[in-house]
Amino acid sequence: MNMATSPIELNHVTKTYGDFKAVDDISFSVPEGTICGFLGPNGAGKTTSIRMMLDILRPSSGTISILGARRALDVRSRIGYLPEEKGLYKKMTATAMIAYFATLKGVAGGEAKRIASELLEKYGLGSFQNHKCEALSKGMGQKVQVLASIAHDPDLVILDEPFSGLDPVNQGVMEEVIQDIRSRGKTILFSTHVMSHAERICERVVIMAAGRLAFDGTVDEAKSLLPRRVRVKGKGAGAALEQLKDVTHSSPSSDGREGVVEFQLREGADPQQLLKCAFDQNISLEVFEVVDPNLHEVFVHLVGEEAREAAYR
Amino acid sequence: MMQIYRIAHREYMENVKTKGFWIGILLFPILIWMMIELPKFLEERGIPTRHLVIVDRSESLGEIARQRITLLNRQKTLGELQQHMAKATEEQRQEKMEEINIDPDQLLDQLEQGLEQLGNPDLEIQPFKPDQLVKIGDLLPEQMLLNDLQWNNIKKLLLSQLPDDAAEFIEPPLRFKEVSLPEGISLTDGNQQIEDALRPYLRSEMMLKSGDEEVELFGLLIIPEDALEPEGRVRFWSSNLADTDLIDAVLASLSEEARQQEYDRRGIESKAVAEVASMKVRSIKFNPNKSEGDEKVGIRDKIRQYAPIGFVYMLWVAIFTIAQMLLNNTIEEKSNRLIEVLLSSVTTTELLLGKVFGVAAVGVTMQCAWIGSLIGILRYKAGPSATWIADLIAAVITPELLGGFVFYFIAGYFFYAFLFAGIGSICNTIKEAQNFMSPLMLLMMVPLGTMTFIPNDPNGAIATTLSWIPPWTPFVMMNRMAASPPASEIYGTAIMLLISVVVVFWLSAKIFRIGVLRSGQPPKLLELFRWLRGSHS
Repeated sequence: MNMATSPIELNHVTKTYGDFKAVDDISFSVPEGTICGFLGPNGAGKTTSIRMMLDILRPSSGTISILGARRALDVRSRIGYLPEEKGLYKKMTATAMIAYFATLKGVAGGEAKRIASELLEKYGLGSFQNHKCEALSKGMGQKVQVLASIAHDPDLVILDEPFSGLDPVNQGVMEEVIQDIRSRGKTILFSTHVMSHAERICERVVIMAAGRLAFDGTVDEAKSLLPRRVRVKGKGAGAALEQLKDVTHSSPSSDGREGVVEFQLREGADPQQLLKCAFDQNISLEVFEVVDPNLHEVFVHLVGEEAREAAYR
Repeated sequence: MMQIYRIAHREYMENVKTKGFWIGILLFPILIWMMIELPKFLEERGIPTRHLVIVDRSESLGEIARQRITLLNRQKTLGELQQHMAKATEEQRQEKMEEINIDPDQLLDQLEQGLEQLGNPDLEIQPFKPDQLVKIGDLLPEQMLLNDLQWNNIKKLLLSQLPDDAAEFIEPPLRFKEVSLPEGISLTDGNQQIEDALRPYLRSEMMLKSGDEEVELFGLLIIPEDALEPEGRVRFWSSNLADTDLIDAVLASLSEEARQQEYDRRGIESKAVAEVASMKVRSIKFNPNKSEGDEKVGIRDKIRQYAPIGFVYMLWVAIFTIAQMLLNNTIEEKSNRLIEVLLSSVTTTELLLGKVFGVAAVGVTMQCAWIGSLIGILRYKAGPSATWIADLIAAVITPELLGGFVFYFIAGYFFYAFLFAGIGSICNTIKEAQNFMSPLMLLMMVPLGTMTFIPNDPNGAIATTLSWIPPWTPFVMMNRMAASPPASEIYGTAIMLLISVVVVFWLSAKIFRIGVLRSGQPPKLLELFRWLRGSHS
């Protein structure tokens, strides 16, 4: 593979339906070997973008390069895809279903079956190998779908909402699957609107809102978009520290602890000056915490109030 | 190519594994078997001897009616005897496949000689050929059947001609048997009295004595003295008036007698009348499309003319069932969103073609199983009607009919399959699909409606016009195939059909591409039109 190109590259991609712009001039790339979260509220254009990456839809304008190819179908054997709405062939067995999708990606029939049963064994579905898909529970079915999308050992895996509909235990299994793929040097793009997952496992995030790109970068870069906060508890600390010029805002702590005051600092301000000020004024501190903004806050900050409902789900 | 094969393969395997497929495959031969066996079974078991009472108020009309009843009984026995002989000589007849022409007069002469020789053990009987043996039953004149001695001798003679290993012939029970009035009623009683007394017997509430047996009374026939007069009425009582064989036969014999008497009264020689009445103008039919010396139109040609109807039916059923299958599983894949995963691995065209080919293979398997089991059953069951079946098979297995069937099956199937897949792609449920299906169903009904009259005028204006309308071309052309339509039309319509298959494929692929990813309400017609214009993909 050409090391110079990223597995996913979008250049000024737009998709319109009549007058409606589902995706509006987005450009971003995902470096090889990273887990990239693709975030955005419902209707932000994530699924449309993903479908364009996979050449299921054609962009109205702009170019897309997937694993160095112009069309995803040319490199289909190297891509794995799990769509947002998950379905199975009800009458097929779990093994047959995984093997079938692997053969569509070019794996030979016998080999595909072997891989299918290995994968089922590995992720705790060994005893369900010969069960028809209609007999599986929702969580199990979803696992089978994920396994079907990665059975051909793709270099690039695109997962659309892989966590939706899973219980916490299975969400954990899903994270494990994603980390496993990553550990073999593959690239993963997954969309979600559950920020905690993204924060836990992503190195990079791409955030979309209303069809436009709102952010593209590492998780740390995303967090630095919001100023840091300092939480402090100590007699008279609130009134004294409020006066500092780098403090823009103070309020009772958002985590609800009694007597803890939260200060928001100006961008680039050093939290140490609060500690120094308290020391100078002889205020004894019971709590002093520097809090980084979480992805959730960045997300809400970027996509605005309209998306709050989606973000909290 | 490989992708198309893989999709087709899965489609085939999954369909073949369903119960519906196997029920479909097995149901057909079972139905055919039942269609052949059931009437025979019902005839053997269902119709016992019918017992009847005849009250004759006339001088001789009762005798005429009785003779006719005897004739019915003997015709039945003769029929069974013929079947028995056909079965017993089957092997010999099959050995000699050449068709022999049987001259009826000569055959009857031979029979009369045989009957004479039967009484004289010194003379050797000229043996009958197996085909003659089977055929002779159709030729026996009524007088011969009515003469007790001759009837018994004929039976004896025919049975003596059977091969030594033939099974024994068991005479079937009589169809009708006269019984006498029950005790306490006599023929001298009035009609009213007799009718009242027999009512419970006719209602099967009481049983009648016939010899040692207790039997059910089927009917009461009262022939009045004036039966032959215009006002005269034969009174027939039966709780089963649907079975008209008896009364029809009796009335026919009495009508004949009435006519006879009227001829005599007017001084007309009845024999002359019969001769005149038997005059018939005959025709020989020629077909200009056949090679010289072979223009005569025979039974075989008749079968050939109508055999395509069977093909059209099969074509229709096949196309309809498998296109429906395609519709259903497109909707299934669409409604559970599998289509999206598939489309990340294959192009829409590959998916569409794979599905269409896979389901076609299912249909072909079903057709082969049906045709195979049909031929199997016919061959196995080929008894007395073996020649008819041979004619049928010979008529059906001609290059143009079989070739036509294969071509129209493939082209017609693809035409409708693409159409159905396109519809499947825009619907999320079968119910939604039904709205689109109804106009399509109406479209498909037309060739069924025209099927029976097209063979009567296969190259007429209606048939020709319908042939050029692509959705109907496969059915109508198949229907006309035996009548050798002009080559220009065969090729012209075929090219037209192929072009429309390509067009339908192109349109469907376009709709399919957009439709499969769409959820929610199926599109409006206007919207579909916009998709086709390409402003929405």
